[in-house]
Amino acid sequence: MDCEPIIRCQSVAKSYWRGSLEIPVLQGLDLEIPSGGYVALMGPSGSGKTTLLNLIAGIDRPTGGRLEVCGTHLNDLDDDDLAAWRATHVGFIFQNYNLVPVLTAYENVELPLLLANLSRRERRERVLEALERVDLLDRLENRPGQLSGGQEQRVAIARAIVTDPDLLVADEPTGALDAKNAEEVMALLENLNGEWGKTILLVTHDPKAAHHARVQIHLEKGVLDRTVEVNR
Amino acid sequence: MDLLFLPLAPYLAWLAWTVLRHRIPLKYNWRSLWQRKVSTLSTAGAIAVVVAIFVVVLSLSQGLSRAFVRSGREDQVLVLRPNARVEINSSLERDRVRVIQSYPFLARDEQGPLASAECVVVKLLDLADGSGSTNVLFRGLQPAGVRMRSQVRLVEGRWFTPGLPELVVPRRMTDRFKDLRVGGRLRFQGLEWSVVGLFDGNGSAFDSEVWTDVEVLLQAHKRVSFSALLARLERPEQVPAFLAFLESDKRLKLEGKPEAAYYAEQTEAGKPIQILGQMITVILTVGAIFAAMNTLFAAVAVRTAEIGTLRALGYRRVEILASFQWEALMLCSLGGLLGAFLALGFHGIQTGTTNFETFSDVSFAFTVTPGLMGRGVAFSLLMGVLGGFPPAWRASRIPVTEAMKGG
Repeated sequence: MDCEPIIRCQSVAKSYWRGSLEIPVLQGLDLEIPSGGYVALMGPSGSGKTTLLNLIAGIDRPTGGRLEVCGTHLNDLDDDDLAAWRATHVGFIFQNYNLVPVLTAYENVELPLLLANLSRRERRERVLEALERVDLLDRLENRPGQLSGGQEQRVAIARAIVTDPDLLVADEPTGALDAKNAEEVMALLENLNGEWGKTILLVTHDPKAAHHARVQIHLEKGVLDRTVEVNR
Repeated sequence: MDLLFLPLAPYLAWLAWTVLRHRIPLKYNWRSLWQRKVSTLSTAGAIAVVVAIFVVVLSLSQGLSRAFVRSGREDQVLVLRPNARVEINSSLERDRVRVIQSYPFLARDEQGPLASAECVVVKLLDLADGSGSTNVLFRGLQPAGVRMRSQVRLVEGRWFTPGLPELVVPRRMTDRFKDLRVGGRLRFQGLEWSVVGLFDGNGSAFDSEVWTDVEVLLQAHKRVSFSALLARLERPEQVPAFLAFLESDKRLKLEGKPEAAYYAEQTEAGKPIQILGQMITVILTVGAIFAAMNTLFAAVAVRTAEIGTLRALGYRRVEILASFQWEALMLCSLGGLLGAFLALGFHGIQTGTTNFETFSDVSFAFTVTPGLMGRGVAFSLLMGVLGGFPPAWRASRIPVTEAMKGG
């Protein structure tokens, strides 16, 4: 890990409140992930891996510590700036794909681009390029309901990469897929990391999926338990 | 209602701007509406009913004002006894009429000066459907009186003969009243009156009057005084001088009202219907706003995960707010358009009300104009803004992580 870190967590903490009861989820976590890294966050349920992913992706805020991602101190951004930052720097891949059911595959992939200042032609070029990368050019006009689970997840990946973000975050991306589709999705992520240099942060329970990563970070009760380099 | 749009104008302008920036596409909202067809259609239906009622109420007032506005000319003056307000309360002696008819600047045609001394009485006539009877205004005119109402056109039979108890009635009244047809006979004041012709008043207040010869009507009622006099000046600019003459001449001491202004005042007759209609509309509107709100709250609840996804992708709170507000506007304007076209079905239907100035029936037609339909749709947009804002606000305030989990 000799590259410049793209993610730097310094004593990051996150607690939730249930009435007057504080529930700590992350407790002063220090972590650095290099640019171009492929990291799997692992750990039992409640260990804080999804919370850490949400903090790094800028969809949640830490209750303590400093968080620097892609050169930006996320603590300093207000809600709107954080949204704009996400649109530029982060691509999301969710367990349940989270595609908008009333939009076609093309329109779903185009959604993040509507936030950028691009002409219709430029958007079209980028959408087609992203869908070509996930081998779904023949499904442009299909809505999510007309696609298989694997195809839906590939559309979601195309949506995540269409803005050419620095960081891809994937929360259990194979959790809802059968073994064959899961393997295809993981191969796609590996390709995005290896050939396209995307930094990938993956949350998973699945050791097979985690094996595609170069580094596995294990969390336990909100603290870093161990870091394992994967030999492939 | 128009005033309500003023404080909302900046908000509506901002919404229009959000579309121009094409952030969350409107097709997303439009298609989402049709994902829940039953709820969308039932809400749109409720809004359509409210808008239809709103437009129909306005079309009543529109029809009524049109009837009165079409009745008056700018160059004609109605001469009344001071403080009489309406013809039926006025009386005008013959010697005064003679003085007025010799006024030098009266317009003339080949048959003489255009000034008609007239008598107005109210008679109770039976309704054609047998449901009872209602007061109808009878107008006795001098021959010039017919020529001065250029909007009135004989459509069947002939005009009454001076000196004979003959009546000419509006075509629009023939269906509403018994015996008001060519060849029909009415008996009152000891005379048998024949209907000899039908006229069309082109939607004016004259469509609610039965016309006859003034002298016959005066004799039948054993009256010597006329009710009022209608005079046409050579030019509209001469009206103020004529009004001053009526007031200042010692032989007269009368009051004149420009005919157009006189009939404009009569539109007050429509106030009771208007007020009742507005009260009903307000009550229904509150219901429709809650229906729209309920539908949109349900949509937000079902689509919480989608909202979370959009937020995660980088859409800001305001963009979510605008998107759901647009969805409410689409839903309500759909109902608005439907309602405006429903109201169109009432266009031209004849109805009547009591003019509380004269206690006589005024016939008029529901008049649904494109302008009124536009106001109906604008009204539905207002419902969209008011009913859509709370759910849209709620959608925009859900924390992203909570929304991602589906609420």
